[in-house]
Amino acid sequence: MFSITQEIDCYITCITGSDLLPLIGIQAFLALLLFTFYLKARKPVLRISSFIAAQLFMISVIGTIVSAMQCSQMLTIEIYTAYVILSTVIIMLLPRVYYKILIRRHGAQPITDIMDWPQAFVNNLTEGAKVYYYDSAVPGAFASGKSIFLSLGMLELMDDSELKAVLAHEVWHIRHNNKTPVLRQLSLMTFTKNHSEDELEVLADVFAGKIVSETAVESARAKLE
Amino acid sequence: MVKLDRINLSNEGLTKFFSPIEAQIMEVLWTNQESTTPDITEKTGIPLSSVAGTLDRLVKAGYAKRAVDKSGNRVRYLYSATESMDNTANTITKKVLDSLVDTFGKVAIENFHTYHGKK
Repeated sequence: MFSITQEIDCYITCITGSDLLPLIGIQAFLALLLFTFYLKARKPVLRISSFIAAQLFMISVIGTIVSAMQCSQMLTIEIYTAYVILSTVIIMLLPRVYYKILIRRHGAQPITDIMDWPQAFVNNLTEGAKVYYYDSAVPGAFASGKSIFLSLGMLELMDDSELKAVLAHEVWHIRHNNKTPVLRQLSLMTFTKNHSEDELEVLADVFAGKIVSETAVESARAKLE
Repeated sequence: MVKLDRINLSNEGLTKFFSPIEAQIMEVLWTNQESTTPDITEKTGIPLSSVAGTLDRLVKAGYAKRAVDKSGNRVRYLYSATESMDNTANTITKKVLDSLVDTFGKVAIENFHTYHGKK
């Protein structure tokens, strides 16, 4: 019969009596230190790096605690293991199919049906990405898998250089889309909120600024605010 | 949007049946053959952030229609009202009357006769 108080007693007994206790303390301290650094850091790259490092230390704390356990049939460990396996499978597989769901949900069409240059512009920045447009007056742009989606409202609103900035921003997400699921999975495994989204947006804007111009990025942002 | 459960009899004019933004947009569409999104934002004085979503809803509900204009190097929407203001008034009136008859039956019909007699 499962008893949470009994499991907590097991954790306390096993951890306090374990040779790994100093290691757990060091790992937890480093995780805390890196979280503090993340909160203080201003540069997006430093913020993301420190956040990931802190999460990795948290995972190593969990791993060390599990290996320190002497009690058998710990239900909390079994549940956590199942949760990690299931969420990893879902998070890693989702991007491979989700863009297809988005195409159907938005009734998206290849952008080449209405204009050619956005696809040609994206082809110059990354291989195999496809640009779609969908029927909505609300300006919107997002990337999923190797697909970029633009609403017709976005095509209406932006001039050519602003639209290039939007496309370059989304190309940055496509180029790094293999890392995004890892960040999400780290957050799930450590039960921390995924704070990296804002930093990723800033990095995508920096890339767009280099490819097109900072003025175009700022102008596009201003139109969307 | 014109939904019978959202009709607000205490409001003025078209806002009994449409939200204030929907009513302003529909008035622009009824008085112009075709309007672009900037035309609508300019004539209503409502920012794009509010107009865009409302236009999507009006199109989905069938009160407005839009075509994609690909002339030149740009693409843009051209909006127009699906029906004239009179036809839309007719549709709304029928919906309201049907609902009253469904709910109150004879009483509603007797009141229509009384109302018709007074007119």
